[in-house]
Amino acid sequence: MLEIRNLTKIYDDGTVALRNVSFTVPDREFLVVIGLSGSGKSTLLRCINRLIDPTEGQILWDGVDITALKGDDLRRMRRQIGMVFQQFNLVKRSTVMTNVMAGRLGYSPTWRSITNQFDEADRKRAQTALKRMGITDQANKRADELSGGQQQRVGIARTLMQEPKLILADEPVASLDPVLAHSILQHLESLNREDGITIICSLHYLDLVQRYSTSVIGLRDGQVVYQGTKKQILRMTDAEFKSIYGEEAERMGGISGDIAADDEDSAGEEVTG
Amino acid sequence: MSQKVQTVEEKPSLVPPVLTGLLSLVVPGLGHMLARQFRKGLVLLLVFLSAAGLWIWRVSDAARREVGFTAMFKKAIQLQPILLIILVVLVLLYLLIAYDAYKVAAKAKASSFLLWVFVVASFFILGWQIGEIRPAVLVRDGKNSLPLLMRVLWPWEKALYYPEELLIGSADVVIPCTENVEVPPRVVEEGDPYVTVTPNCGDLSEIAGAEGTKLRMVGSNFAPNDETEIWWVDQVRNEFRYRYGGEYVKIVTDENGSFEMDVIIPYRVIPTTGGKGYAVWQVEARQVASVGEPVLSEELKLSVEKMIETIFLGMMSTVFGVILSIPVSFIASRNLMSANWFTKTIYMVVRTILNIIRSIESLVWAVIAIIAVGLGPFAGILALTVHSIAALGKLYSEAIESIDHGPVEAIQATGANWLQTVWYAVIPQIVPPFVSFTIYRWDINVRMSTVIGMVGGGGIGYLLIQWIRLLDYRSAGIAIWFIAITVAILDYVSSEIRNRFV
Repeated sequence: MLEIRNLTKIYDDGTVALRNVSFTVPDREFLVVIGLSGSGKSTLLRCINRLIDPTEGQILWDGVDITALKGDDLRRMRRQIGMVFQQFNLVKRSTVMTNVMAGRLGYSPTWRSITNQFDEADRKRAQTALKRMGITDQANKRADELSGGQQQRVGIARTLMQEPKLILADEPVASLDPVLAHSILQHLESLNREDGITIICSLHYLDLVQRYSTSVIGLRDGQVVYQGTKKQILRMTDAEFKSIYGEEAERMGGISGDIAADDEDSAGEEVTG
Repeated sequence: MSQKVQTVEEKPSLVPPVLTGLLSLVVPGLGHMLARQFRKGLVLLLVFLSAAGLWIWRVSDAARREVGFTAMFKKAIQLQPILLIILVVLVLLYLLIAYDAYKVAAKAKASSFLLWVFVVASFFILGWQIGEIRPAVLVRDGKNSLPLLMRVLWPWEKALYYPEELLIGSADVVIPCTENVEVPPRVVEEGDPYVTVTPNCGDLSEIAGAEGTKLRMVGSNFAPNDETEIWWVDQVRNEFRYRYGGEYVKIVTDENGSFEMDVIIPYRVIPTTGGKGYAVWQVEARQVASVGEPVLSEELKLSVEKMIETIFLGMMSTVFGVILSIPVSFIASRNLMSANWFTKTIYMVVRTILNIIRSIESLVWAVIAIIAVGLGPFAGILALTVHSIAALGKLYSEAIESIDHGPVEAIQATGANWLQTVWYAVIPQIVPPFVSFTIYRWDINVRMSTVIGMVGGGGIGYLLIQWIRLLDYRSAGIAIWFIAITVAILDYVSSEIRNRFV
């Protein structure tokens, strides 16, 4: 179980990205974080694996306070938390295989990993991950030769190498077309359902949120303004919508449950998988 | 914003159009300024003033001995008619500025294309005059450079050297004929060239005209059908070539390598007798015969040696430059040095120093290095290293500044430690630009090292400048060829390496 308590992040330039955020994520949850760009979604996800150090507050994961971890303890914690990025963040010049193997770095001794000596079990694990993502035949290509959807699958395969208990997905489908978006989210869903991996994912499109999430929190200006279960998100009211996206935001269509939201950085496009 | 612009355009000129034109005739550009086009007016004023100033300078420069402007002007026009053309263009420009001012004031959206054409034209003609561009001279005298150019373009006659051997046969001549002279008989090996004279004594020629004793000179065992020179060696071992009637005497041997001729003992100011009352001279027949196969010439060998030195000079300076600039580049990267004011200060200082070093040419650094370590390749290496550090430091640091932070974040998120993160996320990103910049710099350094020798920094440039100064264009041509070949090969190799890595 992941428990966020009074999390606050103030950047050096004074920007308040998170303001006293508290919520709880039970295991095996597919939690979707929604909110406008700049509402603090990315900061929140990065605080959980400490790519960003929170200013105040606690993050308890199975009773361990992540915010207090240092050095090796921090890295041991990180290797159990996978992360998927909007821009995939693959090392473009390295092969798919190297990118996937990089997911194992947290488990490998420094010297062996730098000289590219991964043990047999790790190689097998990589094969399995590639197979699961359906990109076995791309293994020896350079990462930048792959299409966006394939690159994101490499990104997920990389997190699988970590054998994660939790995957943080920072707008994993924002750079992909609608069909690919569903494909990637279905992979995440299967990891969530079959492997029992908790997923915290930020998304833009409400229809995707309604389709995949098991629970939702809405952020606005760094504050939690909405919390709901799958049932509640299907019945999101206009008032709730506006509390997240602002008074000027307009929902596409009128019927709740089959709606895509319009927001600033993505053209509101109706998506049917 | 767009509304603002419109209101400006709609505002009428401060003065009537005709007046703007007239004002522009008084001060070019003033009309525009009053017609609410202040910047254009200012630019036109500056353009006109500088063009007119340049013209006055060129007129006074062309006729610098004349006094008074009219005299200068007349003389300058006479010497360089192009100055008159410039004057005409300037006058037209002056009138056009006034006309344009009128148009601008009358109708806000008038085209000034012709005006700017004249602005460009006036500076182009001025440049033509200042640059002393004379295509006619090039056409007329260009061919004079052809022989020289041919020597440079095809210098290979000098690439081979035909080894020569000096064949000498000599005989003793006693002056004057004296009894009991002890002249040791000559021992001639079988097959060696030899010379005999009969008689083997006689008197010198006199300055007034009386000829000396005529000797019959016979030579044998020389190279057949080849020119042979006759030399005299007096009693103090001074050698001089035999002349008759003012001309050097030469004889061509027959097919057996023998010759026969008469020689007259020449005039010599040195007293012949000394203490003994006689002197022993020698008369020699000398042949320069080419023997054996042609070998590579000294110039070619020197060029090869110096070219190798040049390549290594470029290589060593690149290696030193890379090694030293990598740490420098890290402290000159903004993204790595923006932690606090202290590191920011270091960044600023390092950047400034790099910029200063880089703005000084390697040739200047070479001159400074020569003062420090003396002439030779080391000075060149120092100079190129200093310049490389500055140039590569900047390029590398920009490569570091432009890495994508995403992969770094992703690798960190897997639980990798610092070294693993650098190895997996940073290095792959900076290797291609580093390799590319390094090869680029190696390229530059080898090319620079060919000229750095001209100021004494070692390498082939040193030979090149020497041979050019000695007007030895063939040898210079060999050096130029080697430089060209090396640069071409280097170009190919560097692009190959770049393709592999990047």
